[in-house]
Amino acid sequence: MRILVHKEKCQGHARCWSMAPDIFDLDDEGYIVAGDIDVTPDDEKKAWRGAKSCPERALEIEK
Amino acid sequence: MTTPTAARPIPAHVPPEMVGEFSLFTAPGMAPTPNGDPQAAAACVHAGPRIFYSPLNTRDGHGTWVITRAKDQRRVLQDGETFSSHRSIFASALGEDWPMIPLELDPPEHGAFRSLLNPLLSPKRVMVLEPAVRERAAFLIDRIARAGTSCDVMNDFAFPFAVNIFLRFLGLPDDQLEEFVGWATDLLHGEPAKRGAAARTIVAFIDDLAAERRREPVDDFMSFIIQAKVKDRPLTDVEVRGIGVLLFIAGLDTVAAAIGFDLAYLARNIADQRLLRNEPSRIVLAAEELLRAYPTVQMIRVATRDIDFEGAPIRKGDYVSCATMIANRDPEEFECPEKIDLSREDNRHQAFAYGPHRCLGSHLARREIVIGLEEWLKRIPDFRIKEGTAPIAYGGHVFGIEDLILDWS
Repeated sequence: MRILVHKEKCQGHARCWSMAPDIFDLDDEGYIVAGDIDVTPDDEKKAWRGAKSCPERALEIEK
Repeated sequence: MTTPTAARPIPAHVPPEMVGEFSLFTAPGMAPTPNGDPQAAAACVHAGPRIFYSPLNTRDGHGTWVITRAKDQRRVLQDGETFSSHRSIFASALGEDWPMIPLELDPPEHGAFRSLLNPLLSPKRVMVLEPAVRERAAFLIDRIARAGTSCDVMNDFAFPFAVNIFLRFLGLPDDQLEEFVGWATDLLHGEPAKRGAAARTIVAFIDDLAAERRREPVDDFMSFIIQAKVKDRPLTDVEVRGIGVLLFIAGLDTVAAAIGFDLAYLARNIADQRLLRNEPSRIVLAAEELLRAYPTVQMIRVATRDIDFEGAPIRKGDYVSCATMIANRDPEEFECPEKIDLSREDNRHQAFAYGPHRCLGSHLARREIVIGLEEWLKRIPDFRIKEGTAPIAYGGHVFGIEDLILDWS
């Protein structure tokens, strides 16, 4: 599973990071670090919850 | 809350069939009401259209378009080019025109100021503030528990907790706490004359503080601002004021109101109260659901051009209201939105707005709410609304709760 990060939509809610701080990395201002994220099978559930929590729809799940 | 002054005439371009009855000021359940539930009352708009015109939907009698669906609010709040946030809402109370910063600046100008302030309130920075937040909550609740088996949550806990944390963040003295809350109350909920006086007092206070820190900088927020640079230049006096005023008023009553609404809910729903007390690890998720159910503010934007929006002829200069409590109960966005489900997982609520103006203090606010609930439930046994009392809740410019007498005898 892969998370497509639409960095330009991120507004720093950090809901993804609060669900899965090891998967979603934030910069010093609190916005998501650019770059899509490859998720290991073990982390899929957490990553899914993090991506689905984004109020701005900045995280897209690619199966 | 105050009743706004008389409504202005409905603009000619608004089709009569698009004018709605609802307003956050005058609709049923918006006036101060014993045992009121203004957020639930506002959800009545979901029986109606996606967008309608409310002739009297700001404190100063402006009409606004009302966006009822979360999806459409997202579109408005993400598009600062079409829907500007520059309203000088504070300065206009003084007959002046300067923006509160960064809220009333639009992108791209907004970005430099936002980048300056973001690190001060980032999620990681808030983790550093957390021990002090917890200590303050524990201190206040211990004092309440020692004093008896009943208290007024707003006066004894919610305000002294939230406002103290914020003053500490700003580097302001705690001994003026009640005075500061009084200014904010007059400003947000007072009659027009009181609002103007409070606004002048706050501006003078912020200007004096900035001048003092220019003479003698210390390690605090204002000293940081006066020494900061945007685009390689220091901030102007008006910019310093715009930032100081916004942060001062933004932190004074919103978190306290949230804690009041949350504890009122738990007092009335003993099963949920016990669930969180027995399994405190559920509080983080539950706090998001309570933010969804009991948000307190409406965002207003001004159209910068004519646009037809979901069938509504929005014209340049029209006000567009995106009320958090309305989006958060949108049935297209949330399954059974009227049901408060503390285990709700799919919960992309907009208590802190969407878009570039997402609440700068949201990470601190969220942690204060979680820590406040954790420490409260740890120390106070089964509590309920004290018999013979009825907390007064109100809608309007900023939703709130006046008093909340809890009892655990």
